[in-house]
Amino acid sequence: MTDMLHDLLDKRLIFITGKGGVGKSTATAGLGLALARKGKRVLIVETDTYSAMADLFSLTLSDSNIEKVKQFDGLEVVNLYAEDALVHAIKQFVPSDRVARSVIGNRVARVFFKAAPSVNEFSILNMVRYYLDKTRGTRPYYDHVIVDLPASGHAVTFLNVPKTLNGMVRVGRFAQICQELADQIEDTRQTAILAVCLPEEMPVNETIELSEAIEENLERKLSMIMLNMVHERPFGQTHDEVFGALRKVTPAQKPEELANAGALSRVIQGNALALDWYERDLIYIDLLGQKTASPIIEIPMFYEKEGLRVIERVADFLCGEPGGGDTELAS
Amino acid sequence: MSDASTTIHDPIAPLLESARLIVCCGPGGVGKTTTAAALGLRGVLMGRKVIVLTIDPAKRLANSLGLSELSNTPQQIDLRENLEQVPDSLGDGEFWAMMLDQKKTLDDLVRKYAPDPGALERAENNNIYRLLSSTLHGMQEYMALDKLHDLYTGGYFDLVVLDTPPTKNALEFLETPSRAKTFFDERIIKWFLPNRRAGFFGRVLDPGSIVLKLLGRIFGETFVTELTEFFETLEFLQQALQSRGEMIDYIMRDQQTHFFVITSADPRRMKEALFFHEKLAELGQRAEAFIINRVIPPFNPDDLQKVDADAIAGLAKNAQGLDSIDRAQFDALRKDLASTYKMLARLAVRDQDAIEDLSKKLGAGALRRVPLLGQDVHSIEQLVSLSEFLTPSKPVYA
Repeated sequence: MTDMLHDLLDKRLIFITGKGGVGKSTATAGLGLALARKGKRVLIVETDTYSAMADLFSLTLSDSNIEKVKQFDGLEVVNLYAEDALVHAIKQFVPSDRVARSVIGNRVARVFFKAAPSVNEFSILNMVRYYLDKTRGTRPYYDHVIVDLPASGHAVTFLNVPKTLNGMVRVGRFAQICQELADQIEDTRQTAILAVCLPEEMPVNETIELSEAIEENLERKLSMIMLNMVHERPFGQTHDEVFGALRKVTPAQKPEELANAGALSRVIQGNALALDWYERDLIYIDLLGQKTASPIIEIPMFYEKEGLRVIERVADFLCGEPGGGDTELAS
Repeated sequence: MSDASTTIHDPIAPLLESARLIVCCGPGGVGKTTTAAALGLRGVLMGRKVIVLTIDPAKRLANSLGLSELSNTPQQIDLRENLEQVPDSLGDGEFWAMMLDQKKTLDDLVRKYAPDPGALERAENNNIYRLLSSTLHGMQEYMALDKLHDLYTGGYFDLVVLDTPPTKNALEFLETPSRAKTFFDERIIKWFLPNRRAGFFGRVLDPGSIVLKLLGRIFGETFVTELTEFFETLEFLQQALQSRGEMIDYIMRDQQTHFFVITSADPRRMKEALFFHEKLAELGQRAEAFIINRVIPPFNPDDLQKVDADAIAGLAKNAQGLDSIDRAQFDALRKDLASTYKMLARLAVRDQDAIEDLSKKLGAGALRRVPLLGQDVHSIEQLVSLSEFLTPSKPVYA
């Protein structure tokens, strides 16, 4: 199996987006872990008030502090709050800490910054750049910074903020920073933009829209589509005919009838559901391939109870180890 | 198990009958927009005039309703054309839907409140206006609330069902009324407008001048000039938006406004839903119902002990064309079926545990389960089937 990480190894900045509920955080964590296993130092940045990484890695994340993931070497996580990022940004523009503090303490300024659109996005992107610029000796401190972006509807707006602000401001230090951020986002050599998607109608349509919007607004391509939870065929094709006939004569047919149905009905209908999933997946994988030009990685569905186990298996898969199926069948 | 004595209290039907506004919130990817549409449709089938307003940037409601596009004006969906059988309960019920076009909404506002006909043109020449009206995240929520205000106070609709963006944005959305108020707050605007009264000391000590200087230092003089111009141009909007912000706060707190949290049974989504519940409480609101979508049927790992190749061969006797199948093939099939079923059962047990946890925290009465349906919902017929799971008229598994 080819190494799917190859194209990402030289991308220091990786943005990940996707419609809510497609497993964006799991894919982000899996990618971070896979890169860490290659000996890279990786920082995952969340910009949400509700941190999925805290849940997945059993961490307590607070006050935009960077935490090391104790289960895995080389992987660090931060849940970045816009307000902390703003404080950091203001410090860049005023002569001293004292002035910065008085600005932040100024009620009027606070109200303005809180209410004005785009300030949050700018501050967060500015902070991401700070993480990228951190060094250990002469080397960058982080080999990769992975940013878990908001859901795809907002992602293009988010990534477009520096360019838009730059278009408005034009001169001065702020304009220059905006220009640099915009250049970095559009630079396909150092920055990757990934979309996580499910093989279902709405996520696929949204990914197609996202891919078009990125080309239109950011003048670059989506680097890769991670198609998540792709179902495998529940049984071999040789059984199709027999299973089809059995399915028709199963007493319970509807999902709501299954609670009070017999074991056999449940086993047949469960597999019928899995077969429907598999067949539906094929249609949407095909559609996605036709309407987008970016490489598509199909991550199999992992039936694990624990979120952490799913992440490990996604990382295994991305590192080129066999995926899919059930590792615990013997249990 | 669903006899009358164990009938679960239904939190939804009475609210659909009396509410004027239902706000649907919850994590992304759980079928929120579709559920909002199904709830609205249920209200329509009770004889009410209902509009479903979606502010999600992706055109999902349109997808759910099988429409290619929704414009910025309410569109009526003809149920008589879309349903084979229209229930008698429809009566005067009407089903409307709308998707927000934020730029059009802001332009409409300017046109409506502008003191002179050239105001829109002047506004459109201002960079900040252009930025606010079409590009920047956050403005969409302000505009959604403005439309909500119009639909709610317009008097035509009995019920507005509001679909919200996924968690993080929806929280912002709930905070938006006060946020819009601060952005357009008269005091803030005053700081940007030339200070006509105060003398030299007044200007130096005026907090506004400090802010202007700071903004000038950070964003550059051009931006500050544009911003001042923006506020001058749109001063008239300030009054309108501020009173709307207050009105919307009032609407959100009305007795006939209800919040539903929509989630899926996946433990992480459930946690997010719970977070949402707590956040609502912080904002002085309460979720009246939790709708748990896409619940995996109760597949049970123990079932596999009862299903051997004999059982499958037994079922095959009822099927046509399977007389010549030999025993070895049933054995092989059983092995394949068992391996898939085992994994599904693991997820089903996980979901059930998560639902039980939530039920302990919130009380079983607040929960409503919708089973995982085999197909995507994209027709009105399918929406009706889905809506039946939201009310107690049809059995849902307990």
